Amino acid sequence: MSGLNSRAIAAGLVLAVLALIVLAPMAGLLNLSGIPGYEPGDLRFWQSAYIRRVLFFSFWQALLSTLCSVLPAILVARAFALLPDFPLRGLLLRLFALPLVVPAVVAVMGVVSVYGSGGWIPLGRSLYGLNGILLAHVFFNLPLAVRLLLPQWQTIPQHHWQLGEQLGMNAWQRWRFLEWPAVREALPGVLLLVFMLCLTSFAVVLTLGGGPKSTTLEVAIYQSLRFDFDPAQAVVLALLQLSICTLVAILTLKLQRLPEVEITLTSDLKPVTIRQNSLNIMLILVAGVFVGMPLLSMLIDAFAGPLWQVIGNTTLWQSIGNTLFIGLSAAVFSVGAGWFLLQYSASLSLTGKTGKARLLDLAGSIVYVVPPLVIGSGMFVLLSPHVDVFAWVYPIVITINALMGLPFVIRSLGPALRQNHARYHYLCQSLSLQGWNRFRYLEWPLLRRPLGLAAALATALAMGDLGVIALFGTPHTATLPLLIYQQLGAYMIPQATVTALLLLLLSLTVFWGLERVIGGKADA
Amino acid sequence: MLEIDRLEFGYANGKAPTMQFNLSVEAGEIMSLIGPSGSGKSTLLNLIAGFLAPRAGQILLDGIPIGTECVTSRPVSIVFQQHNLFPHLDLYTNVALGIDPSLHLNREQTAAVSEALDQLGLSDLQRRKPGELSGGQRQRVALARVLVRKRKILLLDEAFAALGPALRAELIGLVRNLVRDNNMLALLVSHQPRDALLASARTAFICAGKVIALEKTGDLLDHSQLPEVRDYLGSI
Repeated sequence: MSGLNSRAIAAGLVLAVLALIVLAPMAGLLNLSGIPGYEPGDLRFWQSAYIRRVLFFSFWQALLSTLCSVLPAILVARAFALLPDFPLRGLLLRLFALPLVVPAVVAVMGVVSVYGSGGWIPLGRSLYGLNGILLAHVFFNLPLAVRLLLPQWQTIPQHHWQLGEQLGMNAWQRWRFLEWPAVREALPGVLLLVFMLCLTSFAVVLTLGGGPKSTTLEVAIYQSLRFDFDPAQAVVLALLQLSICTLVAILTLKLQRLPEVEITLTSDLKPVTIRQNSLNIMLILVAGVFVGMPLLSMLIDAFAGPLWQVIGNTTLWQSIGNTLFIGLSAAVFSVGAGWFLLQYSASLSLTGKTGKARLLDLAGSIVYVVPPLVIGSGMFVLLSPHVDVFAWVYPIVITINALMGLPFVIRSLGPALRQNHARYHYLCQSLSLQGWNRFRYLEWPLLRRPLGLAAALATALAMGDLGVIALFGTPHTATLPLLIYQQLGAYMIPQATVTALLLLLLSLTVFWGLERVIGGKADA
Repeated sequence: MLEIDRLEFGYANGKAPTMQFNLSVEAGEIMSLIGPSGSGKSTLLNLIAGFLAPRAGQILLDGIPIGTECVTSRPVSIVFQQHNLFPHLDLYTNVALGIDPSLHLNREQTAAVSEALDQLGLSDLQRRKPGELSGGQRQRVALARVLVRKRKILLLDEAFAALGPALRAELIGLVRNLVRDNNMLALLVSHQPRDALLASARTAFICAGKVIALEKTGDLLDHSQLPEVRDYLGSI
């Protein structure tokens, strides 16, 4: 019982801190009367053509990005599912995992180096604007959607494939009666998730947006605070963003089911004709080239660029230090908070209080409802009259990045921790295995792999963030993503490409290192 | 008559020993196949249905080889223990798929579906989804589809294993009528000796990929001196 109490206390403390981090900035935003430039009853901002345009563009780019990512992803996922023995399958699925780890600004550099005016496949006069945003969003979200949809084929019972074969179904009929029902189950969740990611995408729109015509709510909030010095407009935009995200989150909850990301798939599916096989192979290869090419092109450009000049710059090393400090600190807080929340949630599940357990898990995903930039804006508005917010950059950025990593920690650690708890909790109680001993003999050996993955994901995410750091960062406290953005702004494209390569290498090394050090060897 | 003549099968990884089956089933007969788990009972059904390809041997129906035909054109219907129905389609559509997967049914075919559902006592439920039915009702729907498919060979792969004894007996009775009235033949894989007694005059005992006994069901179950059979029956 005391174990349960200590878990409840720890989870309660985490919840209290979460509430403070989210609610205090909200209070700052909602207290419109205290904001300079805003008068009660003033409808000027709500009726502004600029805000209407920003709102329209936010939705429009998110909708197009979602459709352009998810619809082809269905075909590619199907091709992967129907070709379980395709020789490059494992390699390509690993490549499709990369965009989860690659910082957005690095991907942007890759997209520019392929599709930009001097790139391999120049698209029109300028990549900046809707075209560039769409390309970068598809680069990120097509692989994600493929990995989310692929396991759906595994849910089709083997007997259904056999029945389909015996009943003489052709490819279209198999799709209609076997595959589509399985895909349809996950599709709304995937569509909404990708839509939400594109709607709240910041780094891509900031770097590829190209002026007021192509600005989304998140970027407009940032511009209002950092360039226009118009906190009232920022607040109105943040409240709009908050309302939309709440609506999408409610819809997602209604739909409930979101598949877990899964890359292994063993199946006895038997496709099909040689023509269909060739089509599937072509689809996989085209998708592979689409995802692989920007990274490859960026690597080539970076090695041909001013590598030694960039490496010799002290600002770079300062940024590397900041990036590592912020990334690792945020991960420590994310994993710690996730661990305590999940421990109590697992205890609640075991005692049949599954509703409360689910609520606890959802609390950890609050960042989906209140986006980091909205929290950042709230903190900016709340704190700026009292303190120099730029002097508080580390605690603020680490806190918000930790909050951003929390849903990833909950998703990657949660299932294993809950299973562990359900299997061994009563045994532990009967053996009086508690506290440190329980962690040392049971939890660490069995959970170190998902813990390693959770820590690696949270670190990579914080290291690649260009949202909150852009709001609060200064030249001295810049991280690598911010440095890249500053270099892009100064038209130092070759330098930015080299810095992007270094950020990519750093992210992958830290990701791999943490997975290895915490998670142990793969066969452990 | 169905003849299985030196039908050989082995997995590509070579881990399991090669199986070889010899068997013949008369028209109108339901032959039960019993034996330990992993002995090759379901493998034999999968070979007959065409889901697995044999290394050697023949499958003959009334003297005509059918082993080289593709799955679709084999004169075979199969009923599994579960997943026989598509959960998002109603019963009528699940049965109609047995006639034409494009669901373009003419008046006669539509009537055949309704008649089959009627015959299995399901006509009031035809717009229900499988999830709304009991396990026994779901297997009845699968049998209704067998009825409309009009294929000579019926394979039952532990089709009634998840049902209670009374329901199993009832469904076995339905299968007997189905086979008799439509001049079919059937192979029934089961772990329940009682099912074999109810369904079959003859039962084959399969062990390690071979038919090691083929006798009258009562004799096999009560008087077999084979140690494999005694061990198997003793373990039930």
